[in-house]
Amino acid sequence: MQILCNGIISGFTIGLLALAFNAVYLPTRVFHLALGGVFAVVPFIAWQLLLWKQSWPAAIFVAVAAGVLLSLACEAFNHARLERTGSSSGAHLISSLGIYIVMVQAIALMWGNENKVLRAGVDSVVKVEQITLTHAQLLAGVISLSVLLAFYILLRFTNIGLRLRALADNPSQLALHGYNTRHLRFFAFSIAGLLASVSSLLVAYDIGFDPHGGLIALLLAIVAVIIGGRASWLGPVLGGIVLGLIRSEVAWFLSARWQDAATYALLALFLFVRPRGILGRNLRLEAQS
Amino acid sequence: MNYLLHLLIYLSIYSIVAMSLNMIVGYCGLLSLAQAGYFAVGSYVYALTTLKLGFGFLPALTLAVGVAALLSLALSLPAWRFKGDSFVMVSLAVQTLFFSMFFNWSNPGAEPGTVTNLTNGPFGLAGIPKPSFFQFKADSLPSIAILSLVLATLCGLLCWRLLSSPWGRLLKSMRDDELALRGLGKNVRLAKLQVFAIACGMAAIAGAIYASYVGYINPSAASLDQSILMLCMVLVGGVSNLKGPLVGALVLLTIPELLRFAQIPDEFAANVRLMLYGVALVLMMHFRPQGIAGEYRIQ
Repeated sequence: MQILCNGIISGFTIGLLALAFNAVYLPTRVFHLALGGVFAVVPFIAWQLLLWKQSWPAAIFVAVAAGVLLSLACEAFNHARLERTGSSSGAHLISSLGIYIVMVQAIALMWGNENKVLRAGVDSVVKVEQITLTHAQLLAGVISLSVLLAFYILLRFTNIGLRLRALADNPSQLALHGYNTRHLRFFAFSIAGLLASVSSLLVAYDIGFDPHGGLIALLLAIVAVIIGGRASWLGPVLGGIVLGLIRSEVAWFLSARWQDAATYALLALFLFVRPRGILGRNLRLEAQS
Repeated sequence: MNYLLHLLIYLSIYSIVAMSLNMIVGYCGLLSLAQAGYFAVGSYVYALTTLKLGFGFLPALTLAVGVAALLSLALSLPAWRFKGDSFVMVSLAVQTLFFSMFFNWSNPGAEPGTVTNLTNGPFGLAGIPKPSFFQFKADSLPSIAILSLVLATLCGLLCWRLLSSPWGRLLKSMRDDELALRGLGKNVRLAKLQVFAIACGMAAIAGAIYASYVGYINPSAASLDQSILMLCMVLVGGVSNLKGPLVGALVLLTIPELLRFAQIPDEFAANVRLMLYGVALVLMMHFRPQGIAGEYRIQ
């Protein structure tokens, strides 16, 4: 029960990042690797502000805003331009990887390579029947769940959510109907930045952070996207929870060293047996590219 | 002088890697992040056979190539079905599995190189002997430089002959339109098996030279950063011809040396170098997607 609970909570944070990735990938088909850079940089900004004796809300607000702006900058200065020149998806992926590398090295230059923590001292624990949770875990669970809910409400019940889903379905059709797809792309990138920043802060508050954790976390999230189903909005979160559960089980029964191997073995299994993921739909061949 | 020889050895090693990756990226149109894994397989097989079984240079090298070629099935079988982003993820999975294997196949109680402690985990294997075969013993810097240069030239010749042959043409057309090629009755799957086996075998050659030159190998040789660096080389230099990967290896190895002359403090040099690689990738994709000397744009 304890392992189950730990797994679900870490699954929520993975799912949040996975949803951030898919919020860009589904509507724009951009493989947004630079999101790993956003994930890495946000806790450093919060940490710096706390060091300057700013209050927690101010630090969190500025850090999340910086995350959103960075993600937007990726679209404004890189992907929008590549899209205009009709570049291939490979070009998007590679340039995004380049941006990630630049961001991470900039962080390492400014703040050094060491591990850092956001909170000081040992976390207090909360006991509910047989389950022991730390405050950070409880916070992560509650915040990620509410952010996820807010996102799905936005997606399902608001006008802009409808447009975002339409963009994911058929961008050229949406553009023909007179909607400004460029603005919508910006919206998608800012949502991704927001979700990634929240996930990053929650993870950093729980277990600390370093400059190089971004890509590892993002790749994990992408695995969650593939497992859950790329063509679905709920899939990434489901995939994240599945991954969180499996990783905590592996850590408990084998060793934490085998977590990554188990994760990628699961990815390989899914790619072979069910490449569309748990919640994926079977598309016609023409629509799959 | 020693410094130049050292550079020459590294240039030969990375030229071989870049040429091997060129076969996958340039001739199959697939981005692979697993090349450092095969590089490390070459290093480890070479290290273990020379250290534990007392093999000479040539048998150890042959075995390293064989093992890497066999393990290339982990990439080539998925390549039958996957391309684009999916293949990148598959190669990443292979890469992570290799890294975990090198990192975790250890047991502090046992001696390194035994079945329970094959790779000695994060501490790696040390004391790998310098190459020697027949009467030739490459224990000085110039002799290793000559040896690595000869091997790089041989690999270059092999690539040139293979890729300008009808088989190379088959690969190019497979990259451009696989369905049409299958319609013409060509065995696309076999071609993929062959090209991955050759490319991974070549990466293993580079790994073996590296292990014998440095004399020490640890799992960081198989890290994702190494794979990204290797991919940077072919993407910056360009793919789908012989000179592109060579230019890429040259450029990416020259940048850190230039930084050394630019008097950048040592603690920043590594970060600045990687940052320049990142900038180079972004600029390339915007202004010259086929790379400096390449002919093919990644789809």
